[in-house]
Amino acid sequence: MERESTAYFKAIGAIVWKDLAAELRSRELLSAMLVFAMLVILIFNFAIELQPSLRATITPGVLWVTFAFAGTLGLNRSMAIEKDRGCLDGLLLAPVDRSAIYFGKALSNLAFMLIVELIVLPVYSLLYNTNLFNPGLLLTILLGSIGYVAVGTLLASMAVQTRTRDVLLPILLFPVILPILMAAVKTSGGFLQSAPMETIWPWLNILIVYDVIFTAVAFMLYDSVVEE
Amino acid sequence: MLPYAVSIKYMIGGYIVIFAILFGYLISLFVRWRKLRQDLRTLEEMQKRQ
Amino acid sequence: MRSQPKGLTFMTILSGLLFLGALWMVFVYAPLEAVMNYVQKIFYFHIANAWVGMLGFMAAAVAGIVYLVKKDMKWDIVELAAVEISLVFFSITIASGSIWAKPSWGTWWTWDARLTTAAILEMIYLAYLLLRQGIEDPEQRARFGAVYTLIGSLSVPITFFSIRIWQTIHPAVIGAGSSSAVGSFGMTPKMLATMFYCLGTFSVIFVTLLWYRIRLGVLAERVEQIKLQVME
Repeated sequence: MERESTAYFKAIGAIVWKDLAAELRSRELLSAMLVFAMLVILIFNFAIELQPSLRATITPGVLWVTFAFAGTLGLNRSMAIEKDRGCLDGLLLAPVDRSAIYFGKALSNLAFMLIVELIVLPVYSLLYNTNLFNPGLLLTILLGSIGYVAVGTLLASMAVQTRTRDVLLPILLFPVILPILMAAVKTSGGFLQSAPMETIWPWLNILIVYDVIFTAVAFMLYDSVVEE
Repeated sequence: MLPYAVSIKYMIGGYIVIFAILFGYLISLFVRWRKLRQDLRTLEEMQKRQ
Repeated sequence: MRSQPKGLTFMTILSGLLFLGALWMVFVYAPLEAVMNYVQKIFYFHIANAWVGMLGFMAAAVAGIVYLVKKDMKWDIVELAAVEISLVFFSITIASGSIWAKPSWGTWWTWDARLTTAAILEMIYLAYLLLRQGIEDPEQRARFGAVYTLIGSLSVPITFFSIRIWQTIHPAVIGAGSSSAVGSFGMTPKMLATMFYCLGTFSVIFVTLLWYRIRLGVLAERVEQIKLQVME
């Protein structure tokens, strides 16, 4: 039993390490996500009047739309790389429970998303003269990203195996992660405006509940998605 | 009280839409059924020839 | 697969009769509502379709779970049939609701919890159909369909409650005070009876349509199988 669980965690670690190491060398994923995120923020600048008085209320929305779209990009590329290089088949042959692959991919997807988010924050702070270094906000970003990536990894694994590939992921993902977006925007807004914890708490709750439920469900369903 | 003319207009419009969607779907089911039957006949003939 | 089973013929005739009965109930039996007058009558079919659509969605999710457990293609056919018919019923719900809303609330649409969730549900159905369209292997299609139905059906209740909480902080309805349409008029016993009758009618119609759609699915599967045999 001891050996089984260490093998499991080793497998997860191996997958995460493989993805991070590969990305360190090529940097194709992160650069694409970052540039895209910057462009989205740029577009928002012209699409919505980010006047100083409105900034406080609009910032959470702008941030989360940016993260949602950049996240889709990352998920798509991450799974496509897996499929194209045939790594997925190799991983499937390994004598480890399939869910290890799920956790490995989800963790590396999470890592990439967090890296992008952590770069976007200071850039946004500078461009719009808003201080985004708020521990509550950072917590929200972490929780929101976890939920997003939990469902996203599962759905991306499906989408990448279809004919319509890249186009399909946002169509599948967005209707389903609306609770996260809503809760994340409300929580972020609350923390940024230093609202009382009682108003923030219900949203934080939704975020946590969603994360727990969907990580569990996605982990259980992953087997059905990668059968060959 | 909403004026009769307005109210009846919207009600009729609403029911027309309801019927249109419902019967539209029934028709689509029927059309698809017929097409599949035809495909089946064609394929069975091809099978006989083989 | 040649002739219609007797049960289905019975259900079809029953559905037709019940439907005619529903029309009588709505247009003759049910009294006129005090404020909204005739347009309120849309409510009966609107509510029936909404409820049955929801149940259909849940049926699809259950069929999905059974498929994943048993791997029997029959359940995939049931799941697809349930989703498709629920999609139709929900389209009716949204369309009729919108037409009812215009004279009642002064707007075709409002972003309240029910309407928004209904719209999201439609999008999930459509996403499901698009997902299936992009897959050629029937077995993979069934697997992925079942997974998405599950994920979708889990997220919808959470979405609904989230929007509700959102709304209490930012009430966004233009016009009428309460956006929960059911409570916006008092229902007399005759109206209640009509509503429940329509609910029952559309439940029967749903089952009948489901049966037809499942038969269609079975036929489609057979055609696909023979196609593969002939093409070899």
